[in-house]
Parts: sequence; C-alpha cells; structure tokens
Amino acid sequence: MKLRRYLVRALHRLQKGPGYTYKELLVWYCDNTNTHGPKRIIKEGPKKKLIWFFLTLLFASLVFWQWGILINTYLSYNVTSSLSIGFKTMKFPAVTVCNANPFKYSEVKPLLKELDRLIEAALERILQPGNSSDNVSPPLDLELWNQIPLVLIDEHDKDNPIILDIFETNQTAPVGRGPCQGPCHAQAQSCLLCPQCSQQGSGNCTYRNFSSAAQAVTEWYILQSTSILSKVPLHDRIRMGYQAEDMILACLYGAEPCNYKNFTQIYHPDHGNCYIFNWGMDEEALNSSNPGAEFGLKLILDISQQDYIPYLSSAAGARLMLHQQKSFPFLKDQGIYAMAGTETSIGVLVDELERMGYPYSDCTVNGSDVPVQNLYSQYNTSYSIQACLRSCFQNHMVQICGCGHYMFPLPEGVNYCNNEDFPGWAYCYSSLRSSIKQRQICIDSCKETCNDTQYKMTISMADWPSEASEDWIFHILSYERDMSTNVTLDRNGIIKLNIYFQEYNYRTISESAATTV
Amino acid sequence: AATAPGKKITARLKRTLPVRGPQAPTLSELMRWYCLNTNTHGCRRIVVSRGRLRRLLWILLTLSAVGLILWQCAELLMNYYSASVSVTVQFQKLPFPAVTICNINPYKYSAMKEYLSELDKETKKALETFYGFSEGKSKVRRSVDDWNSTGSDFFQQIPLLKVEDFSRTATDLRSGQKRRVEGSVFHKDSSIVNGDSNDIIGFQLCDANNSSECALYTFSSGVNAIQEWYKLHYMNIMAQIPLETKEKLSYSADDLILTCFFDGLSCDKRYFTRFHHPLHGNCYTFNSGENGTILSTSTGGSEYGLHVVLYIDEADYNPFLVTSTGAKIIVHDQNEYPFIEDIGTEIETAAATSIGMHFTRSRKLSKPYSDCTETGADIPVDNLYNKSYSLQICLHSCFQKAMVESCGCAQYAQPLPAGAEYCNYKKNPNWMYCYYRLHEKFVKEQLGCQQICKDACSFKEWALTTSIAQWPSTVSEDWMLRVLSWDKGQKLNKKLNKTDLANLMVFYKDLNERFISENPANTLVILLSNFGGQLGLWMSCSVVCVIEIVEVFLIDSLSIVLRRQWQRAKKWWSHRQRGGAGTAAPASHLERQGHANPACLDEDLPTFTTALRLPLPQDSPLPRTPPPNYSTLRLESAFSEQLPDTLELGRR
Repeated sequence: MKLRRYLVRALHRLQKGPGYTYKELLVWYCDNTNTHGPKRIIKEGPKKKLIWFFLTLLFASLVFWQWGILINTYLSYNVTSSLSIGFKTMKFPAVTVCNANPFKYSEVKPLLKELDRLIEAALERILQPGNSSDNVSPPLDLELWNQIPLVLIDEHDKDNPIILDIFETNQTAPVGRGPCQGPCHAQAQSCLLCPQCSQQGSGNCTYRNFSSAAQAVTEWYILQSTSILSKVPLHDRIRMGYQAEDMILACLYGAEPCNYKNFTQIYHPDHGNCYIFNWGMDEEALNSSNPGAEFGLKLILDISQQDYIPYLSSAAGARLMLHQQKSFPFLKDQGIYAMAGTETSIGVLVDELERMGYPYSDCTVNGSDVPVQNLYSQYNTSYSIQACLRSCFQNHMVQICGCGHYMFPLPEGVNYCNNEDFPGWAYCYSSLRSSIKQRQICIDSCKETCNDTQYKMTISMADWPSEASEDWIFHILSYERDMSTNVTLDRNGIIKLNIYFQEYNYRTISESAATTV
Repeated sequence: AATAPGKKITARLKRTLPVRGPQAPTLSELMRWYCLNTNTHGCRRIVVSRGRLRRLLWILLTLSAVGLILWQCAELLMNYYSASVSVTVQFQKLPFPAVTICNINPYKYSAMKEYLSELDKETKKALETFYGFSEGKSKVRRSVDDWNSTGSDFFQQIPLLKVEDFSRTATDLRSGQKRRVEGSVFHKDSSIVNGDSNDIIGFQLCDANNSSECALYTFSSGVNAIQEWYKLHYMNIMAQIPLETKEKLSYSADDLILTCFFDGLSCDKRYFTRFHHPLHGNCYTFNSGENGTILSTSTGGSEYGLHVVLYIDEADYNPFLVTSTGAKIIVHDQNEYPFIEDIGTEIETAAATSIGMHFTRSRKLSKPYSDCTETGADIPVDNLYNKSYSLQICLHSCFQKAMVESCGCAQYAQPLPAGAEYCNYKKNPNWMYCYYRLHEKFVKEQLGCQQICKDACSFKEWALTTSIAQWPSTVSEDWMLRVLSWDKGQKLNKKLNKTDLANLMVFYKDLNERFISENPANTLVILLSNFGGQLGLWMSCSVVCVIEIVEVFLIDSLSIVLRRQWQRAKKWWSHRQRGGAGTAAPASHLERQGHANPACLDEDLPTFTTALRLPLPQDSPLPRTPPPNYSTLRLESAFSEQLPDTLELGRR
C-alpha cells in the first residue's frame, strides 16, 4: 500500500512538472557551479558571453578528449621497466657437464660393429671408385644399408643425372626432373644423397641431398646409430656412457672440496651421461657470496678422446651449460664447448628478466596454461620454452609417425622409433622436421616464461697444463683415479674449468605497470 | 557643423575604448571583486578574514602556494623531454642475420707474386741487413753497395731509420748515414718512454713539396715497424690494381667454403654473396638478402643454424702482411656494412668454433630526447657505403672526405668518393705523409668527425657467445680429412691438413627477441594532468581559473589603469582648454558606472558560509536559488540597465 501511495505521489509530481523552467534551472546551475565558465557566460556582456561560451565548450571537449587518451593508455597495458645492476649473494647456477661423445666406443663397439664395417666399405668405394675390393672376409650385412641407402649422383649430364648406389653395380635410374633440384645443382660433379622411402619398395621416396660427402656420411651414421641404440634399454645405455668417477677428476667449490658424488647424473640423449652440479633437486642450492675465480667452481675433467665413436661426433671436448636450479639442460641450444688441453674460465653474469603476466605481456608463470603436454616433467624440471617446443615436436611425431624420436622423452605407452618396427620412420621424421607448418604450430602454442634467467658468460682460455707442470699433474691425476703409477691421461683428454661470478653478478630488468587504476 | 573638440574626443573614446568586464572604478575594488568571486579560496580568505594576523597568514599561505606551483610546474616542464626505457621479449621466428666470412689473408700469395715480388725482395733484404735474419738458403750477406745498385725504390720513398732518442739523431739503416731528426717525432708505442731507447726503429715520412717538413714514426719493436712499413707499400701497389683483377687474385667461394649446412639442410655457394673488402680480399656473406629473400630460423640450437667448414690455405699466406692464421667472421644485419677489420671475430683452424647468438633490437628516441639520427640524412657527410647509416660508416666517410680534400686522393681501405681515385705514389708522391698527419689529427679528434657524426637511433645487435672445441677429434681425424679432400675434388691434389680447416657453427641460442625501446616518459596529456594536479592541490584552481586571473589581473587591471590615465589626461586637456571651468563630469559618470556593476556591490563582508555559497549582490534581480519564477526578459533588462555603456555602443 505504501508503495502504491508512493508511486501515485510520484506520478502526480511528474504530471505537475518541476516548479521552474529548464532555463531557470540552467541559469541557477551556471550561477552556482564551481566551474566558473558557465557562471561567466551568464554574467558577462554579450561579447564576453560569447567568448566564455566557446571557451567553456572548448575546455569541456578538451577534458573529454584527454580522458579518452588516459583511458586508452590504461587499456594498452604498458609497462615500465626498472634495471638494477650490482653484486649480491646469489644461488650459484646449476652446472651441467657432458662429454661431446655420448658413449665409450669400447663399450658400444659390439653394437655398432656391423655399421662401422658398412661405412668403412662405403667410404672405400666412394673415395676409390676404381678398385672395388670385394675381398672382405665376412660378407657385409646389407640389411641395414637397404633401409637407408647412400647413393651418389653424377651430374655431368645435367638432364640425365645418374644415380649410383654405392654397393650395387651401376644402376642407372634417371629420376625424372630429379631430386638434385636442391643445392648441388650448379657445378657439382657429384653429390651424395640419402634417400628415405616411406615404405620399402614403394615409390614414395625423398632424397635428402648433400653437397658434401662428410655431411652425408655423418647424417647417415646418426640416423642408423639412433635406430640401433634406441633398442638398448636405458640402464645399459647409462652403463655404456662415461661414469662420474672416470670423468670428474677434481672438484673444488669455493674453498671446499667436492667430488663426483656431489653431481647428479642425468641421461641426455645427445651426450649420454651428463652430470649436474648444484641442481637443487634433493638438497638446498649453494650460494656464492664472493666474486672471483677463487670462490667459484673449479673442475678437472677427463674426456678420454681415444674412446670416441669416430663417425658420430667429430668435435672433441666437454659440453657444459649453466642453467637455473630444477631446469632441464638443453645443451644443443645453450651449451658451450670446452676444449681439451686448455683451462677455460667462465665469468658469469646473471641476467634476469621479470615480467608481468597477462594482460601486460604474453607469458606463462609455470606452463600450466600452455596447451602442450610437457614431457620433461618426468625429470621433475620446471617449464621452459625449449621443453615446450621439444614436447610439442615429440607429440606431433607420435601422432604422425606412431613412434617417439630417440632424442626426446617419451609420452606414456609409446616406443622409440627403430628401423625394424617402424621402417618408414626416418622418412616420416625428415618430412616432419623440415615441415614449416609444424614448427609454426609449435611456436604459436608455446609461451615463454615470465621470469627468464640467462647466464651471460665471459669465456677465456689458456693452455693447461703448462709444459713444465704437465708431468706431475698427469701423474697425480692418474694415480688418484686408477691407483696406478702409469700415466693414463694425456693432453687430448684433460680439461680444466673455472666457473665464477663476475664483479657485478646480476642485472635485473623488472617490469611494472605503467598506468594503474 | 563643427562640434566641440571635447565631444569629439568623448565619441572617439567610446568607440575605441569599449568598456567591458567588471567595471570596477579602481584597482583595489577590482581585486576585491576578484577575491570574493574566485574559486581559489586562498584569495577569498585574505579578504574575508578578520584580524591582521589571520590575514597575514592567509597571504603567506597563498603566496607560498603560488610559489610552489610555479616551481613544480617549471620542474615538470624541464623534465618533459625525458625518456623511459621499456624491454619487451618476444618469442618468435627470427630472421637469420647476414654472416660475412673472410680469410684473414686477403689474396693468394702465389697469385700476388708478380705484383709483390719486388717489395718482398726488399723486405727480406731489410730483415737480413738489420736483424741478420735469413731464410736459411742465402747465407751471403749483401753489402751496402749492393743495396744502392739495386736502386731500391721502396727505401728511397720511406727510409727505415734507427733512432737515438736522446741525441735526436737517426741512422739510416741503408746508407749508414746519420742525420738529425727534424720536425715532429711520433711514437707509436708509449712504452718507449721507460724502455731502453737504443733499439728504436722507425721510418720517416717527408712532405714531398717541402722536404724540410718531416715526421718520424718510431716503434719500439721492429716487428711493428716492418709490418707498418710493408703495409704502406702494399697499399700503394694494391691501389693501382683494378677491382676485377683483385677479385680474381683472391679466394673464390669454392676455395673458401668446403661444406655448408643451414637449418638442417645442405646448402652451397649460391647462398653466399661475394663482397670485396679492400683489406681482406674476397669475403662471402651468407644470407645477404641480395636476391630479396632473407632466411629465417624457427628453431634454436646448434643443429638449426649455419654450419660451415672453411678451407684456410695456410701455405698460400703472405708472410709479411698477415701473421695470424684463420678466418674472420662478423654477424650483421643485411642492411649493415660489415666492418670486418674493426669488429670481426677470429676463427681458429683445427677447431670447431660454436657461436651462440642472442638477438637484441634497440630503438632510441631522436631529437629532442637524445642526439641520434634516424636515417643519417641530416648529417653533412655523404655516405660512401651503399648501406644504411651507422656511426662507423659516418666516421670512415668523414675521414675519407677529409683525405680527398687535403691530400687529393682517397685512402685505399675505404670506398671512393665520386671523382676521386686511390692514392699511389706515382700520382701523389706526397700522400703517405699527408695520410699519417691526417690520421693523427683524426685520432686526436681534431678533424671534427667525432662531433659531426651521431649514433643511429635504431640498431640490431647479436650478442655472441663463442666457445671452441677440438675438431676433428683424434679418432675421427683420419676419415674426416679423407672425405673432405674428396669433397674438395680433383682441383686439390694434396691431402688436406687439419690446420687448413676451420669448422664454424653460428646459431640462435633461443628465439627470444629482446626489444629495448625508449618511450617518452611524458606525453602532453600527462604534462597537463600534472599541471592540473599542482594547481588543484595548492590553489583549488583550474585552467578556467588561470584564464580568470589573466583576465582580471592583466586585461581588466590594465583597462582600469588606462581609463584612469585617460581621464586624467582629459581633465588636464579640458582644464587647459577652458581654463579650469570644466568639471570632471565624465569621470564621475564612469565611477557611477563602476558602482552600478552588481558584482562590486558586495559591501557587507561575507561570512564563511555565505562565501562558500557565492553570494550575489544584494540588489541583484538575478535569482539566488530555484525555484523562484522569473522572466527571462527581466534578466535581459537587468543586463541592459546595468551596462548602459555597452548598450550605447550597440545602438551606435
């Protein structure tokens, strides 16, 4: 009832209208408002009135325009960055050291014996085509060969290139307009190809052509050995790699001695056994509160170059990488080499970038909002863009080829590719790898992390050990490792590393919102 | 009909001096009116406050507020052209930079024999005579006479001297003559001051036109002296050889690049563009963008970058010109000129050099924020290089320009300006002296180049992390060298040595692009907002209020003063005309006009509450609050009554 009465009253009031005209109200407003423009309009003479009227109008539009700009600035979510440089006590980076060669040749020789004989015979044929020495005592196992043969293309006659399979008698099969459309078209007398067929015997083949035989042989060997090694169980592969006690001869962190037991072993598909110092998985990460080589990590490594697999890795040295605690080391991307017979000093500057998340910049805090299954989480490592890209590739590989690539971790219930179970995998892998579309999909779906830490390194090198000190150093190190008086080390295998913080050890760029509410 | 001059003047006055605004008769009344009506309450309080102390306080407060506003606004204005830096990181497909690769040795020594044999012979002779060095074969020491008979041009041009620093005498090593050192002595090594000074070697450059003007350049070590001396002659010789011949004398792409791999695929010499560098001979630029396409990388890591094996023919090196072996590379943008002699990275032989890159793009704000140039078009130095502007290009072009102006010919290491040609001592016998003098000046910043040239506003930078591994490893050395020799083909009849090879990998460490850009810290909007904030904070004032101040304090005050002066002048005039009979009628009329202004009739001082309610004049017909009904006509009449002067004007 009350409400009704109220409504009726309101209606009456509306019908009656206000007790004054709009003009009066306007004049009253103008007269009493705090903004003096309107007041002046009604109070001044006709000319001034006009001027004040336009001024007021102008200012009102200015105010609205500037409000528009301010709101736009806010909505563009700009950030301001602040930069700070200096020295502070920081967590010493995790240091991953690997041998450039993944396995000891003496250990994997039985597995690779057939392959090595094959490649040696092939090289023999390539280098001396005249005397085809078929007097090899045990016949070559050509099954491996037939899966991915190496062929030689003679392009003296440009219209009819002749394809020679190295192990067969001159098999001239002109391949249409030819696979040699690629780089080796110009003046090359011959180029080496490694054809990969999706199914044996089917015509669906691609030729990967190389302008250099050295490259072709290396690539071919990597494909073949990958296939062989993928069948070996993981613990055997770990056993075939370099052991911590053989590789890490001496270790000193600051003034405190450390040894191979302070390193965490991790199996890296490219480099075999890798050892990570200060990974922070089980124990607290070490801090370093002093700059300079005296307070850093000093290591002496032995890479025993004599035991390298000759066709697999042609560069010799240690591969090392500095990374954050609890992150996976992607040595192919961020790793550096250390040369045998030298002392490599690495001054470290930690370059941090702290960013605001969405909507200021497109980054992810822990990777949970990225639509790619992170395969590296099985190592208990944190999200990184490299992990995302590789997981993305492996997921695609599993989808398309049905098996996982040996270099990346496996999703559950999937096996690694090998020539026997998946005969067309090399073809599938090659086409996937060179597919620009696939790369673009991965680039678009992966996001970088909001807190990005990079280690800027200043690298310098010197010869080590010096000629004068060489004898006793080798003697002591050999004795400590093998308890024998024989010198088992030499210049080609030994590496000294110094990793330390520079005088300014951090540079932090942090973002904050430029405009806040 | 002749009207009275007084009336005429009044008429003109009314025409030309229209009276507007609060027609206060005196300044103090105007001020009073202003203070009572303004929004800045400080002023109002001054007038309204009772008691001297309070009024004084208010005056002080208002004045200090005005001072603060002025100070802060000045500060804001001065900081207007400051820039803030923002860093953005973007993960994306990155364009691969151009990579220029040179052999450290510019030309094949075997091919250069015909041009350099004379010079080399002389150099060897010099080494033999001065240092007793012989290459083992010729044990016979040549006598001084023998020297003269061969007529060594090179030593006549630039004599090598042994200098005794204290006696200021020099011994000509060829003739054995002693001569006094005239002119200035330039020490190339500063260590000379405390070193033993008996073994100083140097050469003398003289002005060919005026032989008394000489400059002596000394070196503490014979190695530097001989090399520098050799280089001068070498440049002379090279300047006379046409470019096409030089390109033939240097390495071809097939010579230098053995294998090439990019982004996991094989590539060959067609991916490389030749670029002739005056000091480094033929260099090859990978991905120069010359055919319109620029390669890009969508995956980081060493497998997906550029991977080349270079053939460094160490046996064919010039022994005097270069003393180190290897290659030199530089990573640069496609539009940038590769200054390989200045900022190149050297690559070792028998090693795999892996170079990881980080890409950073920077942009600075140009004038008035900082002194940089966008395109280089505003710099009075012609860009001699056919590439986009950089500081280095400007400095080199500037030096070359100065060289052509003062020496009449161009220096060999830099491109030719239009209409000039390279120096050689057949045409310009004086150039070397001139060049050294000019270079000295350039280094000491006396040529003004460093002042003229400015930074470029935007630049791309690739930060490199270089590391080295042994390559080939001892076990793979054998097959690697054999296969690479086969790759090299039939042209090479010897087996490759590992010290002839260098392995180079250039790749992106990650695909993050860092973009550092400067943004204006203040836009006009922010500046005005800050002004508004200051005005509001200290004075509760706005732009309108400021205009009011201008209106009242400048225009109105001025008009009042002028009016008064005019009246005084008129009085004086009429006094003179009529002999003091005239009265000051117009003045009183005007005064009345002023009093008639309703705004000025606020006689009763308002209390604080009435002040806030902005009291209207008592007798004003204007309504105080709605809803009193009133006709708009009355409003108009109120104006017409109060402003007779304006109406008068309107009628006219």
